[in-house]
Amino acid sequence: MDHAQAQSTFSDFLDGSLPERERVEVEQHLAACIQCRTELQSFRRTVGSLGKLKRTAPPSFLPDIKQQIYRRSHGRFFAPRWKLFGRIPFEWISLATIIAMLVYYLAMLHGTPSGVHPAP
Amino acid sequence: MSLAERLLIARLKERDGRAFDEIVELYGDKVFSLVYRMLGNRHEAEDVAQEVFITVFKTVDGFRGEAKFSTWLLRIAANQSKNRIKYLSRRPTDGGEIDDALEARAAAGTAGSVSRAQIDGPDLLFEAAETEAIMQRAIAALPEDHRLLVILRDVEEMSYQEIGEITGLPEGTIKSRLHRARMSIKEELDSHTK
Repeated sequence: MDHAQAQSTFSDFLDGSLPERERVEVEQHLAACIQCRTELQSFRRTVGSLGKLKRTAPPSFLPDIKQQIYRRSHGRFFAPRWKLFGRIPFEWISLATIIAMLVYYLAMLHGTPSGVHPAP
Repeated sequence: MSLAERLLIARLKERDGRAFDEIVELYGDKVFSLVYRMLGNRHEAEDVAQEVFITVFKTVDGFRGEAKFSTWLLRIAANQSKNRIKYLSRRPTDGGEIDDALEARAAAGTAGSVSRAQIDGPDLLFEAAETEAIMQRAIAALPEDHRLLVILRDVEEMSYQEIGEITGLPEGTIKSRLHRARMSIKEELDSHTK
């Protein structure tokens, strides 16, 4: 095994996915070759450093997306919270009307209105 | 796909705002990190990563659950990143395409995995930020497909199977391209350290 052959296996070697026979050959080459050992060390350091490149999304990420969707949907989705209290609460008005009508109906059904007397 | 994930997607299909919040909480960092490393520019990355989730919100009805949701989502992120790279390459440069070492230096103190807690002093902080800037430039110099593979495998630490599902490439192709990409980054890094 020469330098180029050994170095072409570095990824699989680090992943542990080299077939047994090939892995032994690489290990034998590495034991005898300081140049490839140095290259492997540098290769391993590079792969390790790549793992430290993760980034986190900025804190305003979610609010910004929701604002975009709100704008593009012309207010259909993700209305800002303060608007919930600013708009007319049609749901509550409807519910209150239904309850009032129900109470009035029950009062009419069971109660005798004052001042009304049955006909003689 | 787990039952919890299936229920979450079902709620998202109903345009449940809280389900959308959960999706962004779960996958926001991963998508942002992938897009940022693909583009190398924070401003562009924020814009594209936001577009990814807007696309998800708009097109989630088309998600049939044949692949994992994260696979579907990261495929959108990869495609939109590639599209933005193409768009930027056609646009005249304004000098802001790749964040410079100064931004990387500033970022090293505030975000990402190269944090102050991991390093001992200002010199090491500076060195870590410099290394990050060199690596970002080396990644940016790779062809798009190689760039995506190295980010998915070495930055996001995904399995070859997941990478295959996202890219549609066979494992052998992924491995050979990934090896070339890693060697190229290594050589770039070596040239700065020798």
